[in-house]
Amino acid sequence: MDATDSRATRLYRALLKLLPFDFRGDFGPEMETVFHEQRKEAARRGGIAGVLRLWWETIVGIFKTAPGEHAAMFAQDAGFALRMMRKNPGYTLAAVLTLGLGIGANSAIFSVVNAVLLKPLPYEHGDRLVVMRQRMGALNQGFSPSDTNDYRTQSRSLDGLVEYHNMNFILLGRSEPERVETGVVSWNYFDVFGVKPLFGRNFRPEDEQHGAPAVLMLSYEYWIKSFGGDPTVVNKTFTMNDKIHTVIGVLPPVPQYPDENDVYMPTTACPFRSDPATIANRRARMVQVFGRMKADTAVSQAQADLSGVAANLQKAYPKDYPEGNNYSVKAEALEEALTHNARPTMLVLLAAAGFVLLIACANVANLNLSRMVRRERELAVRAALGAGRVRMFRQLLTESFLLAVIGGGLGLVFSWGALNLLISFAARFTPRAREIHMDSTVLLFTLAVAVLTSILSGTAPALAARDTVVDGLKEGGAQSTIGVGRRRMRSALIVAQVAVSFLLLIGAGLMLRSFMKLQHVDPGFQPENVLTMEIALDFVKYDTNDKQRAFFETLLEKTQAQSGVQSAAASMMIPFTSGMTMTGDFQIEGQAAEPGQAMPKADFRIVSPTYFEALHIPILNGRGFLQSDRPGHPDVAVVNRTAARHIWGAKDPAGSRFSTDGGRTWTQVVGVVGDIKQYGLDKDVVDEIYVPMAQNPMGQASLVIKTAVEPMSIARGVIELLHGVDPNQPAARVRSLEQVRAESVAAPRLTSNLLSIFALLALTIAATGIGGVMALAVGQRRHEIGVRMAIGARPVEILRMVLSQGMGLALVGIVLGLLGAFALTRLLQGLLFEVGPTDPLTFVGVAAVLSAATLLACYVPARRASRVDPIIALRVE
Amino acid sequence: MFHVLLALAGDDLHGYAILKEVELRTGGKVKLSTGTLYGIIKRLLADGLIVERRARPTDANDDERRRYYRLTPQGREVAAAEAERMDEVLSIARARNLLRKPRPA
Repeated sequence: MDATDSRATRLYRALLKLLPFDFRGDFGPEMETVFHEQRKEAARRGGIAGVLRLWWETIVGIFKTAPGEHAAMFAQDAGFALRMMRKNPGYTLAAVLTLGLGIGANSAIFSVVNAVLLKPLPYEHGDRLVVMRQRMGALNQGFSPSDTNDYRTQSRSLDGLVEYHNMNFILLGRSEPERVETGVVSWNYFDVFGVKPLFGRNFRPEDEQHGAPAVLMLSYEYWIKSFGGDPTVVNKTFTMNDKIHTVIGVLPPVPQYPDENDVYMPTTACPFRSDPATIANRRARMVQVFGRMKADTAVSQAQADLSGVAANLQKAYPKDYPEGNNYSVKAEALEEALTHNARPTMLVLLAAAGFVLLIACANVANLNLSRMVRRERELAVRAALGAGRVRMFRQLLTESFLLAVIGGGLGLVFSWGALNLLISFAARFTPRAREIHMDSTVLLFTLAVAVLTSILSGTAPALAARDTVVDGLKEGGAQSTIGVGRRRMRSALIVAQVAVSFLLLIGAGLMLRSFMKLQHVDPGFQPENVLTMEIALDFVKYDTNDKQRAFFETLLEKTQAQSGVQSAAASMMIPFTSGMTMTGDFQIEGQAAEPGQAMPKADFRIVSPTYFEALHIPILNGRGFLQSDRPGHPDVAVVNRTAARHIWGAKDPAGSRFSTDGGRTWTQVVGVVGDIKQYGLDKDVVDEIYVPMAQNPMGQASLVIKTAVEPMSIARGVIELLHGVDPNQPAARVRSLEQVRAESVAAPRLTSNLLSIFALLALTIAATGIGGVMALAVGQRRHEIGVRMAIGARPVEILRMVLSQGMGLALVGIVLGLLGAFALTRLLQGLLFEVGPTDPLTFVGVAAVLSAATLLACYVPARRASRVDPIIALRVE
Repeated sequence: MFHVLLALAGDDLHGYAILKEVELRTGGKVKLSTGTLYGIIKRLLADGLIVERRARPTDANDDERRRYYRLTPQGREVAAAEAERMDEVLSIARARNLLRKPRPA
């Protein structure tokens, strides 16, 4: 009987733990007694069944009562907390702002991480989508229509394979001719991606037949921008180039990869793609390919399958997949392709925001500690009277929680306001940026962070106060000093703040140095005062080489004559971009390629004769291009120094000849020019061969105009010249080369700016925190200082004493931060350019800055300490 | 809540006695458990409708450890007001022939 009794009592006591502490204290024993009696009677009356029913009813009763009691208690604590906050507006404001900034920063970065890295792709079956790439060695090639067809029919792991390439159309009928970026796709492109149109319909197989009426789908952004979101746009028609196109649908906002397009059309819309010669030529590699794996297929399985197809193709068509070229096909999960640029940066920023929050928490925790110190005696007395220390600490926690929630609300408002900035920042890393929203996940995360913050900033002082009673009551008189536990906690918090600030400053410092190194990279040409614009000729009107050549030569002639223009040139591609890369292999006269060996290859660039002059690219050997290099004269080319060294070796390439068509025609190298950073300041120089525009006309080129004045000031004039030559020809991407360069380094610049803001924020919070704590400490030790001075200590000795105590802590923090930095900065490696993660200059610099900041923070209170009047200090007893 | 006040209207009771009284009065229809009972008691104490009584009662059966609860004047008023309200409702119901059978005397 007794054993059952005690077990039942223990069980009941455990059940009572669901109720609040105070409630248990007030009624617990009585409830136990009553329950004991209930049990006896239930056993007597109903046996085991009766007892079990009693247990059930009791458990239900407790579960019904507990939430109400907890809520009532919280409401009471909260009311008290709000009153306290109103009485101390200074503290409340400081705490709310500090926490708000910390929580807001985390909320903002998390909304990016959530949308870009955590949420699944906004496509149905997005996890089954892959990007396919054909590679010859290390170079990515497109697919030819023949390649695409074979992969579609021969692969066994895919249930959908679609193609994509990009071209331009010209939209007429508006105030100015407009360029329309067009994605040319298989008819089932959006079906495979699992994208349903907002209005209208997707393409159907009939749309991709020859002679079918021209149709197109609008991208969401273009629909908003150019048609004002007009829902009746479906079935409207527009004239682009020579054809009338009907809008059949509007797409929802989805990430567009690899290009942002205005409209989409089926493959029959592109004359080059539909040309029978292109379809028959296995080497016309002009499209990109996406696939959808069958359900429950892993990427590795798809990869194995596709590699098998690749091997078959290589065996069947050895000439088109030459042995020496190291042909392979790669499948990459689309999700990976869309996000891998963003991942390292965003995770670093999230960590940085986390650090800022930790520092903010430490500040508020220290503030709480100091507040508790002031109420030390009151708390001690109350504790001695049994007024529930648990109650006090719960009160403190409720205060912290409310502050954190209010701060969190403020932080949410702040990050909501910064949403557009966040989206444009993230857009530089991933096309998923448009998916960034403040959704429920972000709100939940913010709430979780607020709870964590309140625990961190509220419990620290509570934990440290274990020795409240003894110390608090020991001190005679009104002067209360800080207990040992609290002092240790306070020092620990300061050390932690300094250490974490060090980490943040190191991160920001490394990124800044990296960015500055990037800025100082010599691009190999002069980007100042150069205007650029893209001109994509109407391929219907300018359908012959002669027409294309004539257009650009006329335009260049007229532009050269324009005032403010020093050199007018044209090029297939401008530096700092990679859109129009043409890589080709060739054979050098007199150097037959051995079977099984790769042929030399280079990026070919088509430029007008004045190109080198316009960009100040030095001619190192031989000559550049002349006006006489045109049809009817020998084909010439100019190579860059890297190609000369790499491919021709010690021999001077000038005079050497090469062929790109298997020996039918030969081109002579007439000069060597300096290297330029074509693809970006942080990218390597590649082998480049320049050929003159007159001998290799193109339907699309960029104007490259060296100006004597601010480049954008003559932009309008040049466009008018353009319309003078052809009023229906638009210019696009009109910008100065400096702007292009700035764009190309925008990502690292913005990242280092953001990190620097975080670091400065952290430093400010930490410094003010340390200063405040030091000031309080000095205030509390006034009596002691008075004594010291009374027995002969000089002010400067007091100053040194206080300073050394403060700086001692800071030094420990710096050393800890140093160790932490050594361990952690290698995670930044991928983001740094020519700066090692343990770059000594940065480390020394940061240590110096942090020491100076903490010295300054400690100096003011130290000086005040040295000015203490011993008489006044000793008087207070 | 009213059941507890009603139970205390007769005499000062301790916790277990209140439970039994309520169960008896309602014919077993309202069975409070310790959890619900003491939640109610706490609120009644806070509202000043009942008080605790530690003095030992004259009855030899009562346990000196127990806490007895007594209705305060306000408590008695609240109970009375509630009873009157219910009575009013009942008269209307009786007048409209809503009650199925007469209550046993």
